Amino acid sequence: MNREDFRRELRDGFESIAGPPEAGLAGRVHAALVEAPERRGPVWIAGLAAVLIAALAVGALFIAGPLRQQNPPVPGLTETPSPLPTSDVSNLPAITCNNLSSVDTTGHIGQPIAYVNGVRTATHAGYDRITIQFSNGLPGDIQIATQGSATFTQGASGRQVVLQGSAGLLVTMTGADENTKYTGSTDFKTSYPVMVEAQQVQNFEGVVQWGIGLSHSACYRAFVLQGPDRLVIDFANT
Amino acid sequence: MSAVMEQRTPSMLSAAAGDASAFSQLIEPLLDPAFRLAAVMLADRAAAEDALQEASIKAWRKLRQLRGDERALRSWFLSIVANECRMARRQRWWSVVKLADPPRQEADAGDQYGGSTGDVRRALLRLKPDDRLPLVLHFYLDLPLDEVARTLGVSEAAAKSRIYRAAHRLRPELTVEEVF
Repeated sequence: MNREDFRRELRDGFESIAGPPEAGLAGRVHAALVEAPERRGPVWIAGLAAVLIAALAVGALFIAGPLRQQNPPVPGLTETPSPLPTSDVSNLPAITCNNLSSVDTTGHIGQPIAYVNGVRTATHAGYDRITIQFSNGLPGDIQIATQGSATFTQGASGRQVVLQGSAGLLVTMTGADENTKYTGSTDFKTSYPVMVEAQQVQNFEGVVQWGIGLSHSACYRAFVLQGPDRLVIDFANT
Repeated sequence: MSAVMEQRTPSMLSAAAGDASAFSQLIEPLLDPAFRLAAVMLADRAAAEDALQEASIKAWRKLRQLRGDERALRSWFLSIVANECRMARRQRWWSVVKLADPPRQEADAGDQYGGSTGDVRRALLRLKPDDRLPLVLHFYLDLPLDEVARTLGVSEAAAKSRIYRAAHRLRPELTVEEVF
């Protein structure tokens, strides 16, 4: 066998394994870069900053009163979400273990109907992420509810849909529409550690719902970002 | 400003300053070879996309550590992708199932193949990932030896040796002259 034959055989062999990337790869990488929390510099600086911010937040809450409630705290759970209506991606809220939360969209709501124009999923070190992007402002109300199974009820038909996973999270966006601007997939099956499937379960009468199948109950954070407007939900995967 | 930074183009400086779009443009020509590298290393196109996405974020965060200008970017980026693939392979137990290579049969006796593309594919997948990597870089991505060496983080002589050793596993009868 000569050199050129050997090279050609290897090239063909590798091509049969890999092949060219999908057309949307560059867009996916770009979106991941835009949404990635910027974590530069030595890790200890970020860690120290996080500790200081947490200490200040706890101190402020204690002084303001919420932490002086008479009810004993439930270990591992926080009662309120950590919304962050801001485009500052370097200051994301902590991942907490909420049972029910509404996402604060104050100051972001534009028009009566927000058009979903993109849905993306990704996994990162520490969290799996789903991003729902809108044009025409954010929906008037966003509710998030966790559940102990990955079975959801489809909004218009009432049919049961069983997603992958053993736990779930339902995102309900009121004042939203997914018919007008969205042409992407309505069912994402992934191989991520926690978020194993995301499927649209309702797009009817101004209410859009996405069911998310989780491999197990997981803590999460939900927040909105601007430029473009989007809802981001991260599930802790470690 | 350091000498290293002075060699950089405006797009590299913008990217290093935190401009995600500038970095995205910078690596766009590299996504095709990087994806092919990851797909071969993981033998799974979806996992390769995930690894590439994660590697891109890591690369952006480490851009200030890059020594050299845009000419050094390719080998630097590919080395991050290769490392991410290694991590993806050992990250979780389910990876073992998902990214399983074909069973190694008498691996130490060699991984020779008969000649058809299917045979070549199976033989390549039976190679250890660390043996597959120099072959991918040199024969599939057409990187010159010095760039293979930089990607692997070894000397040029060591890179040549690793390429030949992996090629020899596939075709024990090959001489050095027939490989290079």
